[in-house]
Amino acid sequence: MRYIQYTPNTRGVVPGTFFGARYPRADIENQIDWLFGTALTGFAGSARGGQFPVDLYEDKDNTYVRAELPGVSREAIGVEIVDGSLSIQASRKEKSGEGESTVSFNRLVSIPDEVQADKVSATYENGILTVTLPRKEEAKPTKVTVSVN
Amino acid sequence: MSLLNTIIPSLSRADTNGEADHRPVRRPRFEIEETDTAYGVTVLLPGVSKDGLEITDEGGELRVAGKRTTKLPEGLTALHRESSDSDFELVLAHDDAVDAGKIQAELKDGVLHLSLAKAESAKPRKISVS
Repeated sequence: MRYIQYTPNTRGVVPGTFFGARYPRADIENQIDWLFGTALTGFAGSARGGQFPVDLYEDKDNTYVRAELPGVSREAIGVEIVDGSLSIQASRKEKSGEGESTVSFNRLVSIPDEVQADKVSATYENGILTVTLPRKEEAKPTKVTVSVN
Repeated sequence: MSLLNTIIPSLSRADTNGEADHRPVRRPRFEIEETDTAYGVTVLLPGVSKDGLEITDEGGELRVAGKRTTKLPEGLTALHRESSDSDFELVLAHDDAVDAGKIQAELKDGVLHLSLAKAESAKPRKISVS
């Protein structure tokens, strides 16, 4: 089974020697794309552990941290707030041949100071973890009535 | 960038995936395993739900297309982005070595597992010598 990137003009990449004279141009292009595609995906990819892509959003009430963590079980996700940073840890079990290996991910994200650490919530859906960080309410002016005798 | 485009053809090539849909697509991470009777394909599709997934098998090619569904409240400002909103597309050629009627797919937590039973003609055969 082979991977092909472009449906038109090709019937897939013929496995064999690179740049063989019998390949038309389109196939050579595919070979090069395949070579670089692997390298480029590795650069941005999240499959092999370590870091994973994180997005940061905000609206007027909350800050949201969204992390791409496909195939992680909910029990294996740990979200903590440590010293003003959000720590996300996760692990994924992968079958490799007969055995099983565990791939770990962790990432530390700086978050704004005005977050209510005790009201942070997180959801995990379709392989995406969304952490909602509610902002502290502005210190409201308190009215004190002093009675004068 | 122009030098890079000449070295890597895909960067400069126009998107040729149908007339109606001109949104850019990207290739998901995937892995293929092979046993004597089947191929197992694992595709990472974060942000793709069951409804946004389309799997077709035609002319010896298996195509997996996943649309990303973002479930975030509207009116958000992005402060920092690392992920991409573009949809996923993966095309695998199997030259009918796979029994198209026996393809099984399971999507869980953004990971798609495909089980492709090999066609009888593609299975290893032992030939006895008479």
